Amino acid sequence: MLFKIAWRNIWRSKTRSITVILSIAIGVWALSFVLSFSNGITYTFIQNAIRDQYSHLQLHHPKFPEDKNSKYFIKNKKEILAAIKQMPATEALTGRVIANGMVSSSRGARGVQIMGVNPETEKQVTHFDKNIVEGSYFKEGKRNQILISKRIAEKLKVKLRSRIVLTFQNMEGEITAAAFRVAGLFSTGNMMTDEALVYVVDNDLKKNLLPKQSDSTGIVYSDNIAHEIAVFLKNSKDIKRVKEKLKNEFPGLLVQDYWELSPDIELYETQIKTSNSIIIAIFMLALIFGIINTMLMAVLERYKELGMLMAIGMNKAKIFFMIVLETLMLSAVAAPIGLGAGFLTVYLLQDTGIDLSSFAKGLERFGMETTIIPVLDFGLYIRIATAVFITALLASIYPARKAVKLKPVEALHKI
Amino acid sequence: MPIIIAKNIEKIYNPKTVPVHALRGVDLTIDKGEFTAIVGPSGSGKTTLLNIIGGLDHPTGGSIEVDDTDISKLSDNQLIDFRQKKIGFVFQSYNLIPVLTVEENTEFVMLLQKRPKEERHRRVSELLASFGLGDKKDKRPSQLSGGQQQRVAVARALAPKPTFVLADEPTANLDSVSASNLLDIMEKMNREEHVTFVFSTHDQRVIDRARRVVTLVDGKIDSDILQK
Repeated sequence: MLFKIAWRNIWRSKTRSITVILSIAIGVWALSFVLSFSNGITYTFIQNAIRDQYSHLQLHHPKFPEDKNSKYFIKNKKEILAAIKQMPATEALTGRVIANGMVSSSRGARGVQIMGVNPETEKQVTHFDKNIVEGSYFKEGKRNQILISKRIAEKLKVKLRSRIVLTFQNMEGEITAAAFRVAGLFSTGNMMTDEALVYVVDNDLKKNLLPKQSDSTGIVYSDNIAHEIAVFLKNSKDIKRVKEKLKNEFPGLLVQDYWELSPDIELYETQIKTSNSIIIAIFMLALIFGIINTMLMAVLERYKELGMLMAIGMNKAKIFFMIVLETLMLSAVAAPIGLGAGFLTVYLLQDTGIDLSSFAKGLERFGMETTIIPVLDFGLYIRIATAVFITALLASIYPARKAVKLKPVEALHKI
Repeated sequence: MPIIIAKNIEKIYNPKTVPVHALRGVDLTIDKGEFTAIVGPSGSGKTTLLNIIGGLDHPTGGSIEVDDTDISKLSDNQLIDFRQKKIGFVFQSYNLIPVLTVEENTEFVMLLQKRPKEERHRRVSELLASFGLGDKKDKRPSQLSGGQQQRVAVARALAPKPTFVLADEPTANLDSVSASNLLDIMEKMNREEHVTFVFSTHDQRVIDRARRVVTLVDGKIDSDILQK
């Protein structure tokens, strides 16, 4: 009976109830959309960072990440790659030879990190071939090709097929230089990556990086080496498990996941989560006052009736529960409407996304896409529904207390 | 057999600011099966006395015993429980629950008492039929006339078979035909089911039908007369 009374009570003042329901629904819609959009930005940022830069896991010589000296390399690259490739969780992997040096043209010079990559496996891991905006990706049979970003090309004032010189320290500690021809210009959408990296074929780099026979200490170098092995998994949920496995299999190597490789991703994600929580809190605060106002009005309007209910024997707990129930019912009608509208909006934007090209420069600086696809996350909907439920529950307390505090004898004589 | 024993009841409103003595030492005993009207001019204290008898208000002094319970000592929650179990209320302005049908309004107190469904339905059907409301059971109060609404209010008060019914100016808003019908019903219930009725009224139609008339003047009993 209490449910029946509460349900019918909320429809006594249809205009008021519909206004409240709509305002809650619009709030929920806006909240779900804003959070889906914000999650879309985070997701895109992280996915781009994983795909373009870090992969899910990377293996290095334990001293390499700190020192970046090319003498800290991974031996037996081919055997390690073969072993990791056999793991069912692996989607793609590649080995890289890395040197820090300078790229220079007749018009200028810049410090860069030179990535010596295997053209085939690199494009499987990073899809780097898709970043080429002018010219082409590495072509087979051609020697000393280099891919530089459009941004570096502009700064060095070079074009496709221009000759540029890479200068770096070889493993013997001697400065060496080699001429490369620009095969393609790339743009990753991340300004920092674009300005920091140039790509060459690993064998071309190794020719200049490795000593011919042995170094001064007599160590014989093989070209079966890499400075970095990047592993992309089929499912990001396997990261921890595969990481542990690799650590056990290759105890002499440093195995890191993308969190360790890029603390800024974690920082960014934490910041987004914090700002999402703040947005939810602001929403709840706005909602709570709206609901309190409405329910207080509903209680004061029915003061005499509530007095009558107490007079004929409805106890305070039931009166309290009835007001709470009415508030929850209003929210229970409104929240699904808002969530449904939010879901529909996000669903309709799955193909086109939201075009933020007018902010492109700022976004590129942080490695973000200019088109954001809001993320459809059911966990988010559950969080919003819970927030609405808690808000309604909190908002109902004051009007419900007001209702039970009335004196039936006074309420009955109210006009 | 007395079911209400009021001894030296005092009621002072605003005792700390502008004291208003609503009741000044009222002694009243009401036996089971009475059909009693408490009458008096406006401000004489009849509604206050009714509220105190009904456990809606606490007396400032004296004691009030209802069905062997000293209700002046009960807490608010205990009083609600007591009212639900022992007292039926009929108010001047009907005070039905607007969102419930006639049938639901009538069974409401029985529902609060958690009476079995079968018993509730049997009792409600009986009452509505005898009050001429059988065909209105699915109507909402707003679809009924004032007389019909007040009959529903009486049915609601009587449904759980209370120890007594308190009716505060029950005919004040009714035309003479409706008032007469209502009084017929209440007299019938008093006669057949021995329900005790206590009215507060200044409606002569009620006074004429009451078997006992207690007159209050300035918060004191001025006369207490048995009629017929």
